[in-house]
Amino acid sequence: MPHYTFLKFIWPSALAMLVFIALPIMSTSVQSLFIEHEKILETVENCTPFGCKEITKVDLEATEAQKAENPLGKFNGFGTYTNRNHLAFSELKQAWRESNGLNEFLAEVFNLPFYKALSFTLSYTFIVTPFVIIIGFFIALAVNRLPSFLKGPTIFVCLLPMIITPLIGSLVLFWMIDAEGIIGSFLQSIFNDPNLSLKASPTLTWIMLFVYGIWHHTPFAFIVFYAGLQTVPRDTLESAMIDGANRWGQTRHVIIPHLMPLAVFISLIQIMDNFRVFEPIIGFNAQASATSLSWLIYNDFRSGDGDMLFGSAAATSMLTIIGVSILMTPVIVRTWRANRPSQGVS
Amino acid sequence: MASITLKNLSKRWGGFVAVDNLSLKIRDKEFLVLLGPSGCGKTTTMRIIAGLEQETSGDVYIDNIKVNKLEPKDRDVAMVFQSYGLYPNMNVYENIRFPLKIRKTDPKTHDRRVKHAAEMVELLEYLHRKPSELSGGQKQRVALARAIVREPNVFLMDEPLSNLDAKLRVSTRAQIKHLHHEMQVTTLYVTHDQIEAMTLADRVVVLNRGVIQQIGTPSEIYDKPQNLFVAGFIGNPAMNLISGKIKNNKFETETISLNGFRTNDGNVTIGFRAEDAIIQPNKTRAVKSNKISVPVYSIELLGDSTMVSFQISGSLISIKAAKEYSAKIGDVVTICIPISACHLFDSDTGNRIKDTL
Amino acid sequence: MNKKNSWLNILSLSFILLWVILASVPFLWTLWGSFKVESDFFSKQDWRNAIFGVRTIIETGGMFTTNGYEGAWIKEEFWRAALNTGIVTLSVVTISLTLGTLGGYALARSGFRYAFWILIAALIFRAMPHITLVSGYLLPFFELGLWGHLSTTIIVLVAINQPFTLWMLHSFFSTIPKDLDESAMVDGCTRFEAFRHVIIPVMWPGVITTGLFSFLLAYNDFAITALLLTEANQTMVPKIASFLGSAQEQGNVMFAVAAVVSATVPLFMLVMFFQRQIVSGLTAGAVKG
Repeated sequence: MPHYTFLKFIWPSALAMLVFIALPIMSTSVQSLFIEHEKILETVENCTPFGCKEITKVDLEATEAQKAENPLGKFNGFGTYTNRNHLAFSELKQAWRESNGLNEFLAEVFNLPFYKALSFTLSYTFIVTPFVIIIGFFIALAVNRLPSFLKGPTIFVCLLPMIITPLIGSLVLFWMIDAEGIIGSFLQSIFNDPNLSLKASPTLTWIMLFVYGIWHHTPFAFIVFYAGLQTVPRDTLESAMIDGANRWGQTRHVIIPHLMPLAVFISLIQIMDNFRVFEPIIGFNAQASATSLSWLIYNDFRSGDGDMLFGSAAATSMLTIIGVSILMTPVIVRTWRANRPSQGVS
Repeated sequence: MASITLKNLSKRWGGFVAVDNLSLKIRDKEFLVLLGPSGCGKTTTMRIIAGLEQETSGDVYIDNIKVNKLEPKDRDVAMVFQSYGLYPNMNVYENIRFPLKIRKTDPKTHDRRVKHAAEMVELLEYLHRKPSELSGGQKQRVALARAIVREPNVFLMDEPLSNLDAKLRVSTRAQIKHLHHEMQVTTLYVTHDQIEAMTLADRVVVLNRGVIQQIGTPSEIYDKPQNLFVAGFIGNPAMNLISGKIKNNKFETETISLNGFRTNDGNVTIGFRAEDAIIQPNKTRAVKSNKISVPVYSIELLGDSTMVSFQISGSLISIKAAKEYSAKIGDVVTICIPISACHLFDSDTGNRIKDTL
Repeated sequence: MNKKNSWLNILSLSFILLWVILASVPFLWTLWGSFKVESDFFSKQDWRNAIFGVRTIIETGGMFTTNGYEGAWIKEEFWRAALNTGIVTLSVVTISLTLGTLGGYALARSGFRYAFWILIAALIFRAMPHITLVSGYLLPFFELGLWGHLSTTIIVLVAINQPFTLWMLHSFFSTIPKDLDESAMVDGCTRFEAFRHVIIPVMWPGVITTGLFSFLLAYNDFAITALLLTEANQTMVPKIASFLGSAQEQGNVMFAVAAVVSATVPLFMLVMFFQRQIVSGLTAGAVKG
């Protein structure tokens, strides 16, 4: 297709991505170098019948004017990146100096908001993803063995956790495991401990979020694997049977190699999606014990007496983008190799 | 009616050269076949003529008008694709009518022209079927009808028979030849099948790695291959080739030696066709021949004849014998290669050595 | 069938059964509970109350109550949010598919190296967490006065959806033989006419599958709709989140439960009707791409 025709077809899509994905990334990186203006204070005499007193208050007009003049805030360089809420270099140094032994140091580090969020985000990504792939694979194998009249309804039910809105899905589970919810109170009555609460313990909260993540994402792996199972080459499978492979041997030597590219595809998508984990933390109301990078950004917009902390959010965003890029590099390089345009022949 | 001229045509993808500086003139009303193995650049050449692919350099002229910049629709060519390219959502009638509709020809003539084209390829009773309800041969005929319905200047056919089974291939081949005779339209036909090339073509162009190896009538190509590539590609079986040395008019390999080659000394490859050599020659025949004794490697009955093969100096040599001929694998027989049937090629350049015999 | 095989069958059946229970019970329970009163839904005294609805009978006199739905839809005006979701989802699906089919078709047919680079760029864009993009939008949108409108959110969701849409449709169009549009072009079409007359009629299976995923993205989004829309323009998901803040104080979690069930129904319908397209679309599209 000539370049000009190509351009005519692609421009709306390319423009949308450029303006609303590439440009915002740049805007974020610029914003991350700035910090909100300090509030302009003014001293006024406040006179009452009992005499005059000087008080300090925020000069709203001047503050607004300053904000209007320079909405980005003032230039801060990499200051936001290194402050306590982000990479926290000085806090790290201090912790390193003052702590006895690695454990204490790590405990200090994971109390810092950024590292706390990072540790949860990474754990979530790398625990949920393999479980999703493995469980999804076995569900696909099992569904494929079902008699055909059962397949349709089973697939329908199996897909439900995937299509559900993440916030809604986590709310539904949250209500069930709530101390007063059906599972929560059931557990209490089993263990005969009226104070048992999954929400109270950070470890249990983490596990709960992992379980939710696996529950929510497994159907995706299942359906991709199931679709892949429909394309397993019959010839190879049959020759494996004739060569004497039992059911496990067929799975091991024919089905798994055939589904391998799909597993790569699933892990690619899963790493992307799990790294942005956010809604479950809101749904489970879990921010006390578990925060994620996305949640930190959200929190910057939601807290701070009505003022949005653009600089702080932007710095976390940039760090998140860097994190995603590091995680994605091997997979993207792989995709690049696999999809490199083959040379046209004849 | 139209002629097509290609001038110094090249197509590259990165470092890969598909068509290399190709110049060719296709005469008006000629049936020209581009023949070569897969990847030789024949389809690319055709697609450049159709305007579906952009040339890297060089020019294409149709009727002496430069068409490089023209869209496919403006070149007035019709093309038949290997996998037919039928529109699955339209029935046969609509498929054939599509070019007329899209080119806004007079709607009153559509019905007559569609029916005429369908009649020429014997499709009249299938007009209301969808492509998915047709067999491969019928689909191919719809593609043909769609190409002829608007009476274009040039027909381009890209391996149109390669998806058909052997029997259909023979009958559709005849149909294509008949159509060309009736319509007298310049036709460029791409194939890797040399039998199609031999049976259909006015002239054949043998292509390899984007370079023309030989242009000629089918019999010229068969009788006087210009180089080793053409010799090894044309004919069924292809020409037997044995490489060795000429010394003092004597052709020698490690195992055999043949007399009577009056050419300069050097590395040469001799070639001869399966039907030109003889097994157990009649001693009374006065042919200037050389005799070799070798064991039979394999023997295959073809129906009208028997193919006997031998291994000589590392090459597999096939020789056609009468269908009554019989021998066992391993029997040592005497074969006779007449000098007059031998083609000589320079082993280093691959080119044919001028006939000096 | 030998003994080992039947064991395997039982194992695989019970595995499926377990998953089916895990996948369906939360929904069934929430649906059941949404017609109860809060003290049954959250039953401190006895977990069995949640099933039998003891308190519901005491408080309302019937087995089921629609108080939650009335509260959510009428008192809290959830219908407004539902309407907004409808507008946003429909527009996002339509626009993304329009842009995506054009772009995906061009990428599948280009044959030039840059098409491949565009796909890689799209893959990288797909990896960006949505909320990091939001932090890029907010300030410029405030400054330009674009913040809060449904139309802004629609365009943002379309853009965020493009990378995935392009990939899906690119791989789908790659499975449509090139011969088809090329014969149309030789027959007398421009590239665009070939697309319109020949490709559009045969592209629906791929477009429907991609559309389903666009629908899910737009419908399920929380990060963008929560931060880019004013309260009046809120869609269902952020509205439910805001219920939690206000509803819990008033002791009316049941509004949120009813809203959750209401928001889930369309998703169920969707999978019920289009299940086949999801499975076959993934075979044709994502599996090969």
